[in-house]
Amino acid sequence: MVTAVSDTSKSEQLKGVPFRLSAFASVKLTVLLLVLIATTVLIGAWCPQEAQQGRDKVIETFGSDFGAQLIKYGIADIYHSPFFLGLIGLLTVNMVACSVQRVFPKVRSLAQPMPLLKEDAIAKMTVCSSAQYAAPANLVLQSVQSRLRSHGYVVSSTDNRLAAHWGKCGRLAPTITHIGLLMLLLGVTITSWTGFNGFQAVPLHGVMSFDQSEHSKLWLGQLPQWALRVDATRRENYDNGDAKQWYSTLSVVDSHGKVLKKQEISVNNPLSFQGVDIYQSSWGLGSIAVSFNGKRMELPLRQMGPVIHAAFLPLDHNTIMMFSVHGQDEPVRVFAKIPEWPQPRILTVLAKGQPTVLGSVQVRYDDLIPVTGLQYKCDPGLFITYAAFAFIMLGVILAAVPHRQLWVDVIPLRTGGCRLVIGGVSRKAKSTFEKNLAKLRQMLDREFAPLQEEEASCPMFN
Amino acid sequence: MSDVQLALTNTAGISSVASFWAFAVSNASARFHGKLTKVGLAVLVIGFVALTGSIVMRGFESQRFPLSNLYESLLWFAWAVMGAYLFFSRSYDVKHLGWLASLTAATFFLYGSILPASQHDIKPLVPALVSYWRQIHVPPLIVSYAMFFLGGLAAFVQLWSAARLKSVLLAMAGLLAGMAAVALGTYTETNSFVLQGLFVGGSLLGIGTAWWQLGSFKATAGNKARADMYDEVVYRAIMIGFPLLTIGIITGGLWANAAWGSYWSWDPKESMALVTWLSYAAYIHLRIHHECSAEKLSLVAISGMVLTLLTYLGFNSLGFSGLHSYGRFKESGAFIQASPVVSYQNASDTLLS
Ligand code: HEM
Repeated sequence: MVTAVSDTSKSEQLKGVPFRLSAFASVKLTVLLLVLIATTVLIGAWCPQEAQQGRDKVIETFGSDFGAQLIKYGIADIYHSPFFLGLIGLLTVNMVACSVQRVFPKVRSLAQPMPLLKEDAIAKMTVCSSAQYAAPANLVLQSVQSRLRSHGYVVSSTDNRLAAHWGKCGRLAPTITHIGLLMLLLGVTITSWTGFNGFQAVPLHGVMSFDQSEHSKLWLGQLPQWALRVDATRRENYDNGDAKQWYSTLSVVDSHGKVLKKQEISVNNPLSFQGVDIYQSSWGLGSIAVSFNGKRMELPLRQMGPVIHAAFLPLDHNTIMMFSVHGQDEPVRVFAKIPEWPQPRILTVLAKGQPTVLGSVQVRYDDLIPVTGLQYKCDPGLFITYAAFAFIMLGVILAAVPHRQLWVDVIPLRTGGCRLVIGGVSRKAKSTFEKNLAKLRQMLDREFAPLQEEEASCPMFN
Repeated sequence: MSDVQLALTNTAGISSVASFWAFAVSNASARFHGKLTKVGLAVLVIGFVALTGSIVMRGFESQRFPLSNLYESLLWFAWAVMGAYLFFSRSYDVKHLGWLASLTAATFFLYGSILPASQHDIKPLVPALVSYWRQIHVPPLIVSYAMFFLGGLAAFVQLWSAARLKSVLLAMAGLLAGMAAVALGTYTETNSFVLQGLFVGGSLLGIGTAWWQLGSFKATAGNKARADMYDEVVYRAIMIGFPLLTIGIITGGLWANAAWGSYWSWDPKESMALVTWLSYAAYIHLRIHHECSAEKLSLVAISGMVLTLLTYLGFNSLGFSGLHSYGRFKESGAFIQASPVVSYQNASDTLLS
């Protein structure tokens, strides 16, 4: 069984809490909500979500019939379902009620000094023992005191009584964690009402504005008036040709074209300007520039495999010209396909900038135009969210610290010796606490020979 | 992999098997119990030291932090299980847990050693993973998983000590069904839905009936003091694992925000970590509530262990995470559209698959 000491009575807890709110302050409800939320998130992790992976993915995974059912009943968009949002709403109310009523008031009780308990109160503790020594009471108490101090206990004492505690900071854990959780909800709400985000694939020398940003329906924010220009973008490879890093040089330009800031970004190294962060999120080859008799054309590229890209140029109803690209520094291979040929046939290989004559046309491969994938976001609640993260982390770390409270009463005997009663509580680590107390007793027994064998445990002592 | 590194890893693997036998026989033999327990512990210490050396050497040899594929994460996991057991054995008399901890470490060694060779290799990292955040984000997660595993194992011993034998067997059957699904998913081409059914159905049935057993039948006399002690060990393991998981999830969010501007994208793997986190939050609050018996709490800890298995290994091997959705191609061009989700999947799959 779990043992614990409750230091705030229910009636005391209910003081000052509005009746309606207190109806939600149930830990049973918390457990139920946590289980329901966990189950919903589990279903959301199992079923591809439309908002993240697209509707096609749902159909691809489950087939058109079952997939359509999942979409129809909102399973494929479960994080926006009224059920899930309702659970989060209820958890918020439950957390506010519980925190105000049961968690925060405990901080006040921490500030109060520990009372110095008498032998009969100590005897009722879940962990306790007693012994008789021939030594005087003050000597025994001093020894206990110095041993506890050397083990990190904070001790307060009078002539023959002592109270000590260890790991009091652990008691702050619920308060700090719950403040963090409430701050997290606040930070996320601020972001949802005023922030925006988006993704755009921008070709080299292209300009990106924020017109197509995404934000919540209920929105009070403002979009920036400035835009971003991609001045340069490149890919750095490992020796085997895999991508190691992508870079883009971006200029922030105002409505008159004036450059306000310029920076090279890469994955994990974003640009920040007026509260908006721009991230390098991906990279690709967008199009190939080819000149026909000196006339430049940009043909969009398609990815055909891990490294091969191709551009297609229909010449007439039957003939297609294809440009196959292997990499930025590789020559381009030119193919043609007509219905009579089962496979496309290679016509020529073009090195960059060198013209070749194909029939009556002079063809020149000018350039490859990369496209940089820019993810952007404005997150006004981020500061609060980050502070919340810090609180939550600190809170849960503190929750691992077991709080120990210990009381000692040393009663002088008429014979000149004394009787020691020692007991305490540790809700989170009773066994180790018991062991430590037994060790302390052993040390005392070695230092001051015990007068007679005393009962070891409290029920007998009672 | 150098010969020394291989020798150290093998020493750790063999030690985990040897300590398993020493602990297992010690439980069966009253005469040699004390001696064999000491042998088991000493062998486990040797294995732990060897594995520490192996992981450090791997880092030096590859010139990077040695935690970037599934094989390395399994080594870390085994290391953390061994280390956590040794840590607890200093404060608690957990000799009945020794064989389970060693068996878990040995199973993970075995699982790692028969992974495809590509998972052992030291591969270059994709752009999203080239960051110091990797060192900060992944180790707490792996260590938290190990703590939750150890907590779950201690929960079995708690139930056993409380003479809840039928519940132990049923819950164990549930866990084994989950593990079998993971193994089948890793090494065979079994249909994903069958695997998912086996994992979810098997573990729900096992733990559900174990719970029902607790409610319906009274326990025969058990060893209360031992049951209480293991209940505390479960709690302590969870109270160490929970902050580590919290730190892992939050630093993952910080990394994602630094890399692609979104700290949470409801990626399946991310969501699974949240499910595990919420389930342990439920455990913590159930304890506060004081109305739940230690045996029921043990079953909650075992459920958490199953969810940890699902988050850590189940997701990829059971085909939950849509493994084919690495990159989407834009209709009209060759551009690989890397939304946060896709990027995150790339990152997490490279890390832990
Ligand atoms: C995801 C949500 C939550 C998390 C992660 C969380 C986390 C925690 C943690 C870490 C503790 C400290 C436990 C300890 O020291 O042993 C705690 C205590 C507590 N929590 Fe929560 N909590 C959550 C939601 C809630 C909600 C919604 C309620 C509302 C009823 C609640 C009520 C309590 C209470 C009453 C305590 C005990 C306080 C005490 O005994 O000092 N928690 N919580």
